[in-house]
Amino acid sequence: MVETDTKITLLNVAIVGNPNCGKTTLFNALTGLRQKVGNYPGVTVEKKEGKIVLKNNTEVSLLDLPGTYSLSANSPDEKIVVDVLLGKMPETPIPDAIICVVDATNIERNLYLITQILDLEFPMVVALNMYDVAQLEGISIDIPALEKMLGVPCIPTVASKGIGITELRNVLQSISSYKPTGIRQWTLPQPVQEEYDELVELLKQNDKIRLPFAYYEAQHLLTTPKQLETFKHSYSDETLSHVKRDYERLNAMGFNRQSVFVESRYRWIRQIYKATVTHNKVNHQISIHDKIDSIVTHRIWGFVIFFFLMGLMFQTIFSWAHYPMELISSGINALGNLVGTIIPPGDLHDLIVNGAIGGVGAVVTFLPQILLLFLFLGLLEDTGYMARAAFIMDRVMGKVGLHGKSFIPLLSSFACAIPGIMATRTIENPRDRLITILIAPLMSCSARMPVYTLLIASFIPNIAVLGFLNLPALVLISLYLLGLSTALLMALVFKKTLLKGTKPPFILEMPPYRIPSLKTTLLRMWERSVLFLKRAGTIILGVSIILWFLATYPKLESGTPSEKLAHSFVGRAGHLIEPIIQPLGFDWKIGIGIISSLLQREVFVSTLGTIYNIENADDSSVSLREQLQRDINPVTGLPTFTALTAICIMVYYVLAMQCMSTIAVVRRETNGWKWPAFQFAYMTLLAYVGTFITYNIGLWITS
Amino acid sequence: MYTLAEIPAGATVKISRLESHPETCLRLRELGFCENATIRCITNETSQMICEVCNTRVGLNFSTAKSIIVSPLQ
Repeated sequence: MVETDTKITLLNVAIVGNPNCGKTTLFNALTGLRQKVGNYPGVTVEKKEGKIVLKNNTEVSLLDLPGTYSLSANSPDEKIVVDVLLGKMPETPIPDAIICVVDATNIERNLYLITQILDLEFPMVVALNMYDVAQLEGISIDIPALEKMLGVPCIPTVASKGIGITELRNVLQSISSYKPTGIRQWTLPQPVQEEYDELVELLKQNDKIRLPFAYYEAQHLLTTPKQLETFKHSYSDETLSHVKRDYERLNAMGFNRQSVFVESRYRWIRQIYKATVTHNKVNHQISIHDKIDSIVTHRIWGFVIFFFLMGLMFQTIFSWAHYPMELISSGINALGNLVGTIIPPGDLHDLIVNGAIGGVGAVVTFLPQILLLFLFLGLLEDTGYMARAAFIMDRVMGKVGLHGKSFIPLLSSFACAIPGIMATRTIENPRDRLITILIAPLMSCSARMPVYTLLIASFIPNIAVLGFLNLPALVLISLYLLGLSTALLMALVFKKTLLKGTKPPFILEMPPYRIPSLKTTLLRMWERSVLFLKRAGTIILGVSIILWFLATYPKLESGTPSEKLAHSFVGRAGHLIEPIIQPLGFDWKIGIGIISSLLQREVFVSTLGTIYNIENADDSSVSLREQLQRDINPVTGLPTFTALTAICIMVYYVLAMQCMSTIAVVRRETNGWKWPAFQFAYMTLLAYVGTFITYNIGLWITS
Repeated sequence: MYTLAEIPAGATVKISRLESHPETCLRLRELGFCENATIRCITNETSQMICEVCNTRVGLNFSTAKSIIVSPLQ
């Protein structure tokens, strides 16, 4: 804690809790929109920070840590929590206090983490979150008794409704004066306790680890399933040889060193639970949850429901987004016309109307669809269905040697590969994590959506098929399925060749079914739209302007707009690469789109927007869709785009790694250029071969 | 003594011991699958099951469920 001149007290508070306990909802309720999302140095786990000022002039810097079940640091995600709490994380100060979020419906399991944090002797407050659900389920908690046993204040909260937030803020004002009293109240069998105390002393003296952290380190060393050699850079030789002797002694005395600590802790937890919680089970409610689980995880019905939900999601994205998209599109056209009347004709006019507004506008139009995608994925997560989807998909993933847990990062990658790749940090097995990272960008992300929807809306007829589905939605689903099945196939190839290994055990918590919080859902959609518009305003604007320049100069004084475009830098570069992409059925304009969208995929749409705006500068009322439909190849006299070309472009985009941000994240996650370079190469090759095959099959069918 | 994989949906049993890789055992114990803990089986499909321990539902595949040795409640 730091006292400043103006008597403002600065306090660093970390929020810790199990996954699915409502930690982020509580963080949102405390901070509102005053949040900053960054990264921990050297790693790509999102670092979510927020600032709040309390009544007594205390400024609290709140840090939302990743969810964890324990301090054993089994996965990279969980290691972040341990590193922050032990002060081992660079550029992140050791917290002055902790808010421990507990799922009030599930105190017994959540107490495991609380007792571990208590032992680190931080001033802390426990937020008994989802207290209303606990009451509904017939769980009553004796809060004064719980406070007495743990020795810390406990506040009932319902973060989604803002209940208990004022009380929590009041406690934060004086949190540094609360010293927990329930430290190390759990008792070990006497011989184990003696070895434990001895090791703590040794760590203090030899390794200069201060109390209370020496207790944590001693327990970690005594229970770790890892080989002791892996710790040789972290502890002195004397300490490690002592630990080795401890293992032998405990084994000789008949103690399982790995279970004895967990069991002792759980014995104390059961005492607390018995003394403070009464559970009058409402059998009716439980049986409803059981019934839902038996249906949604059924070996046949589970898949039927899963594919129905996916179909519904894509159909809705298409039909609901139509009107807001038309509205944005006409708004952008009106803006272009308005600016066009203000600025006199000339290069500046063309730059702003055709380059900036044309390019950025083409991408911004897709905001409604991207928001709907995030809304659906958010709802799947918040209702508790996502874990069930991972559970049933474990059967499919198991066939390719992967874990059902890998399915969650893959499903998140439908929104964006970057959070998807970051979500692989929950996977404990390093080989499986790498395979998941390598295949995650094959999931069709939201940046591909503008490419898909532009081409589908332009070239796929809107006819009804399979009852409730129409052909455009069916094509869209097929593209997503193509990405998913290729990803699974590649996982199998990697598992059998480069990254051999056995299938890890599947253990995954199934969170209770819940009604999602409107505030959290809206906040997430807001964050995503800001992020999307920021990208449109920076990278896409920049690329659009550069592209406008390259598509305008060098100028041809006379000739048709098409001839002028062919004469420009873009035209020349496009013609240069045309022989490479011709076997895929692409002309030079599509080639330019592919090259410029190496940075990010949606640039393909803005590139076409800029190129066609320049080519059809005399008729600004025509939409990009109509321009694509009307475009004739001057050499062949045939349309540049046909349904087959559109399908080929989409297949190319399903399979190709056209995203610099993903490459950067993979480099950081795998600590080097080897894997991102490999990933880029294999995906580009896959895209080329896949598109070539699709084009030739298409030609064969149409002939 | 049975393995958890053999327990039908709806039955409640007690964990006797865990017989798996140390890392898996540690994770299971931290999630509440401790020796002597009570466990309720919710679904038992051909290769997977969902059970409830410490009022939390956990999904397991059969190879993991087979490593959890259980006995009837007294």
